[in-house]
Amino acid sequence: MTTDEATKNEGEVQAAALAERGEDITPNKDRGVLKIVKRPGTEDASPMIGDKVYVHYKGKLANGKKFDSSRDRNEPFIFSLGKGQVIKAWDIGVATMKKGEICQLVCKPEYAYGSAGSVPKIPSNATLFFEIELLDFKGEDLFEDGGIIRRIKRKGEGYSNPNEGATVEIHLEGFHGGRIFDCRDVTFVVGEGEDHDIPIGIDKALEKMQREEHCILYLGPCYGFGEAGKPKFGIEANAELVYEVMLKSFEKAKESWEMDTKEKLERAAIVKEKGTVYFKAGKYTQAVIQYGKIVSWLEMEYGLSESESKEAQSFLLAAYLNLAMCYLKLREYIKAVECCNKALGLDQVNEKGLYRRGEARLLMNEFELAKCDFQKVLKVNPQNKAAKSQLTICQQKMKEHNERDRRIYANMFKKFAERDAKEAGKATGERDAEKAMCEKELETQVTEGKA
Amino acid sequence: MATEELEAIIQRCQILEEEDFKGEDFNLFQVACQKCLEEGYAVKVLEVFKNEKNKVIVKNMGWNLVCPLVRCILSYNLEDEKREHCLSILDKLVQLCNPKELLLGLLEQIEQASGEQISQTILLLLQPLQTVLLKFHSKKSYSVGLSLSTILNQLSLLPVPYTKEQIQEDKLGLCKCCSAVVGFAKPFVDQVVQSVEASTESDVRELKEELLKFCLKSLKYPLLIAQLDQLHEDVEEDPLRHFATEILDILINIGELMPIMFSHRGSRNQNWNNPHFLDMDRKHSADSLACLSYLVFVQYFGIDCFPMVFSPSYLLQCNMTHIEVLLKRTEESVLTKGLDLLGNCLLRNGDNSLHHQYLEFKGFITTPQDLVKVMTLCPIEHLRKKSLKILQLYIDKFDAEGKYTLFRCLLTTSNHSGVEGYVIQNIKNQIDLSLKKANGCKWFTGPHLVSLLDLVLLLPEGSETDLLQNSDRIMASLNLLRYLVIKDNEYDNQIGIWTELNKIEQNFLKPLHTGLNMSKTHYEAEIKSKKENRRVAHNSQTVCSVTVGGEKMPNMTTEMQLQVLHSALFTFDLIESVLARVEELIEVKIKNVTDKNIGGHVKHLMS
Repeated sequence: MTTDEATKNEGEVQAAALAERGEDITPNKDRGVLKIVKRPGTEDASPMIGDKVYVHYKGKLANGKKFDSSRDRNEPFIFSLGKGQVIKAWDIGVATMKKGEICQLVCKPEYAYGSAGSVPKIPSNATLFFEIELLDFKGEDLFEDGGIIRRIKRKGEGYSNPNEGATVEIHLEGFHGGRIFDCRDVTFVVGEGEDHDIPIGIDKALEKMQREEHCILYLGPCYGFGEAGKPKFGIEANAELVYEVMLKSFEKAKESWEMDTKEKLERAAIVKEKGTVYFKAGKYTQAVIQYGKIVSWLEMEYGLSESESKEAQSFLLAAYLNLAMCYLKLREYIKAVECCNKALGLDQVNEKGLYRRGEARLLMNEFELAKCDFQKVLKVNPQNKAAKSQLTICQQKMKEHNERDRRIYANMFKKFAERDAKEAGKATGERDAEKAMCEKELETQVTEGKA
Repeated sequence: MATEELEAIIQRCQILEEEDFKGEDFNLFQVACQKCLEEGYAVKVLEVFKNEKNKVIVKNMGWNLVCPLVRCILSYNLEDEKREHCLSILDKLVQLCNPKELLLGLLEQIEQASGEQISQTILLLLQPLQTVLLKFHSKKSYSVGLSLSTILNQLSLLPVPYTKEQIQEDKLGLCKCCSAVVGFAKPFVDQVVQSVEASTESDVRELKEELLKFCLKSLKYPLLIAQLDQLHEDVEEDPLRHFATEILDILINIGELMPIMFSHRGSRNQNWNNPHFLDMDRKHSADSLACLSYLVFVQYFGIDCFPMVFSPSYLLQCNMTHIEVLLKRTEESVLTKGLDLLGNCLLRNGDNSLHHQYLEFKGFITTPQDLVKVMTLCPIEHLRKKSLKILQLYIDKFDAEGKYTLFRCLLTTSNHSGVEGYVIQNIKNQIDLSLKKANGCKWFTGPHLVSLLDLVLLLPEGSETDLLQNSDRIMASLNLLRYLVIKDNEYDNQIGIWTELNKIEQNFLKPLHTGLNMSKTHYEAEIKSKKENRRVAHNSQTVCSVTVGGEKMPNMTTEMQLQVLHSALFTFDLIESVLARVEELIEVKIKNVTDKNIGGHVKHLMS
């Protein structure tokens, strides 16, 4: 017997043993995934769907040939459980594991790579053998900012998520400090939860949920009721909230490509109005969502008739200007400037656009640029008093700033000036500067020598 | 005489201690050396350099002498012994001089080279550059990075050889430089690999960062542009493929392959977190990452290090971003990469296995539109064909609802009669499949299908539609209608066509009749007037002009115009005959139903 055959047979023996002793863990009980626990877990907790799980594993084919191992890479393998990121056998198998557990899985091709195989390593219709160690797991950080952590109690159906503007029917329970403050069934439009005293974090999380999904959401203050709190529910400012949400059903809003220009224009008028209502109520994040829709619908629309195009332009202009205003209020000045730039792209001498960009720049301490903007405003409309007073503020701030700088840097400037004078004409680029350093080193060597 | 001048300076300087040198001594020495070199007395300079006694003055001349030296070396023939002398001088410089100064001198030479000298200079100076860099003890990463990026910037000026012959000839030396630069980077890679355990050390981390940037830059150019298909029989000898494997090896060895392949997914390990990389402009790395994905999945470079547990649909989803990047380009080799990567990812999935909701993921609905663009606008035939093949593959992989959505999307966005015809043909196939199944799929029978047919069985601009332009679409629609009329049993109306006849009549058949009549009259009149014109003015020069791609085509003679007009008439006839056939079928079937109803009615009355 050759060694190859030996390992092959050994593999087969192992496989047979596994198949015999393994527990069938498929929901259909079709023996497609069999599991043997090699070492029980250290804790009783199992990962929930959507959790980020950390595992070490190695995988073998039926002939015993190893095709993959995370230990060879010296890195634990990380994936989101139950999301179809990995082969079916893994989504099923890892969900049954406890923290610290080591188990073996036998996976039939229907639960692995099927008849297509996976070039170049996994042949067609291959049964795969894995040994997996569950190292750790944690809740899913929906926006990678720690603001919303989700743990899924029951997985939803399919892959479809409500989009912005979708109508959703949910059951929710809100908790704060161990107290339940809200419990009801409610139907609303994603992005407009505020109308129903639902914090923005729920709107955002819903866009990542599926029909029939039941999950727990841990909301940071900025995704909760924020600085304003919610007196109605007895929630103080900057409170952290926990919600349990069940998405019963939803109807998606049409995607941009599904609408023709006429429909987009009609809807633009509606969402513009909605945005304005939110804005007046001080709900700027919600207003941004509404105005943002106009941009997503009309920004890239081609082939319009002249009158349509005019209408679209005026909606876009209004949307950009209002977005800029919202971002100013939300203190997202860079975005505010971007929106103004787009508005000014449509209308170079737009008074509001120039004024708001000036404001944003002033707040970012870009005094020169802000000054420029306010001056342009006055060129367009010499009567604009607000711009005049902003100009005065600009001047004042520039002066204050300069003076402070002068105080702080007084000594430094002197030193810099001296050095600049020395190096003048030598250094331009980085490399030139280095060269200059070299030369200087040379000089010092020489002069030191002379001294 | 130059040699004598040099001799004189040397005589004077040899007795001085380092600190006694004056600035002018250096100047004089430099001028004298340069002169010697220019006048062909390299051997004399070499002699001076070899002399231990001159070590002190030589030590400080690195930066100044590199330029004239390189110029000399490049001007001599390979066999010239003077070249050998110059090379020995260069060696001496590298041995003796201040490395920091020398580094700048060498990089300056590489940077200043142009045309054919780019590769010559790089090949000449890589070795000395490496030696110099290895002399840096700590803080070398910045210099290594600077060197690598300078070299790649220069290489990016060289066109990538394309055909086998071009690669073999390697006229501008790109291939040679690529393999040389890998050798150049090797000791630094080794250093990173050896100190993996102590990777907290900031210098090693920085060096790794620089090597990563180098790899990404190489992926963007030349690898993205290079034709890496296994076109050539002796694949192993393709130097650019070889370069690609080397770059992948570096990425694997420094442990960065997995992290960067997942860098855009946001699901990265803490250990993988790499703030410097995040700082790098992601837009710039999009091309590199797309090329990397191609190399891993299509060419299997480094696939051994890739986890084999991802689901095929997830791999498709991950690669969609890259595919989008590649398909937006116009270069043949880049488009090929995009199509190959998409094809590869699709083939990993079973037919009908992709859930329609995947179409909601980023890129899934826009990519087929990009394929259509390639199919209709790309000037390269084999890419147009490949793109069509892959579009079909794409359609095949989705479930029925996914196919349905794709068809809707393609019909509304493609703006190309041929593509629309193709999609309509696909719709027909799906209806056919659905009818063959015991309980047909709800997307290709009944109300859903009817709403899809609303997009098909109409003339886009009513009777005003340009029938010639739209002939592919119209013919496909008529064929589909004919199929439906034959297949759909008029009694149980399974597909749902019979209740829709009125609408079809209004939106499609009637305007088509009108359109055909108008077009035919118009073209016939045109032919008539052309013929008369020909009789009147025999010199058929006053004709229309055609421009294609901004270039004026030769004028069409009246004969040619007549030919075109006739072929248009032929198309109309063809449409008309199919139309007639369809209407005939409809009539017969409707008559059957009414007859039977009347018959039944009569029978009922009689009983």
